[in-house]
Amino acid sequence: MDGIAISMNPGLPEAPTHSAVSALVRRAATGDRRAFEQIYRDHVGRIYGAILRLVGMDRARAEDLTQVAFVQAWQKLSSFRHESAFSTWLYRLGINTALMDLRSRRDHDALDPAQLESIDLGEVPFCAAERGDLERAVSALPPRARAVLVLHDIEGWKHEEISVELGMAVGSSKAQLHRARGLLRLALTAGT
Amino acid sequence: MTGPNMNDEIRWRSQLRQLNGPVQPARDLWPQIDPRLQTPRRRVRIASMAVAASLAIVCVASLLLLRARSHQSDRGSAPAAVVAIARNVQTAPGSHTALVWALPKNPTLAAAAHDLDDASTQLQHALQQHPDAVFLVGLLNRTNAQRMRLLREPFTG
Repeated sequence: MDGIAISMNPGLPEAPTHSAVSALVRRAATGDRRAFEQIYRDHVGRIYGAILRLVGMDRARAEDLTQVAFVQAWQKLSSFRHESAFSTWLYRLGINTALMDLRSRRDHDALDPAQLESIDLGEVPFCAAERGDLERAVSALPPRARAVLVLHDIEGWKHEEISVELGMAVGSSKAQLHRARGLLRLALTAGT
Repeated sequence: MTGPNMNDEIRWRSQLRQLNGPVQPARDLWPQIDPRLQTPRRRVRIASMAVAASLAIVCVASLLLLRARSHQSDRGSAPAAVVAIARNVQTAPGSHTALVWALPKNPTLAAAAHDLDDASTQLQHALQQHPDAVFLVGLLNRTNAQRMRLLREPFTG
């Protein structure tokens, strides 16, 4: 969120105020590269982090897509309406960039229906995992199922939003999530 | 879902939430981004030049075509389309918005010409709103090329 200027932790740098962000965006929209570089520095962590999770922790691909997202953001700055939070607009643009890439690789996203149908979530007990193990297990999921799981369980999106962005029915999004969770839990319990 | 299963579900989900949050890339990406940014003014200039160039090509091609046809017809007054285009070129040099094409005599083709003129006007307006949309220049070129083809109808029909 852009709008909070009060820092609860004096040890951390203050988040820029809404008006400061808005001024920065307006400057960048007129061609001020320094302003846009500041925007990049303020937001790259969030954008890169989300893209990185969507592309299965492939750092080189995430770096390429992050660059594409910021170039697109620069080109579309004039279309940004200042009624909404800029960080949300930019974040959605970054996610869309990763999902466009995912859609273009649809041929490589063949799910094995037999494998997915055989998963029974109720039989998989909780298994605590280290962050690294969890990231590896998420990365190993089929791309489309991974995208749904990352967007829903990690990024906090709703199925309605996911279905629109991924061009699938809400029911398909729910089914993909169910299957992704099952595969993930099986992978983690198998690894213990 | 029963008690233990529900607890498991909550623990699974809370574990995944740990993965949320910003991650800094291992290297600074700005040096690769910066050279790929075009300034807005430059984008406008490029788009405007592309439109002007394409329309200049259309005008010149029309004049050449019509001049060749008038040579073939020995004597006689210049066709209306030649006059219309020449007038536009003379009175509004470099102004693509002032370009007015002659209408074909055939009513069906005249209706199509009206549609193309409307499309051309809308494309020019859209291009003013979104000067960085290069595909609009392509559409405008195609529309004007089709409109130019309709010009030939009065001489062949």
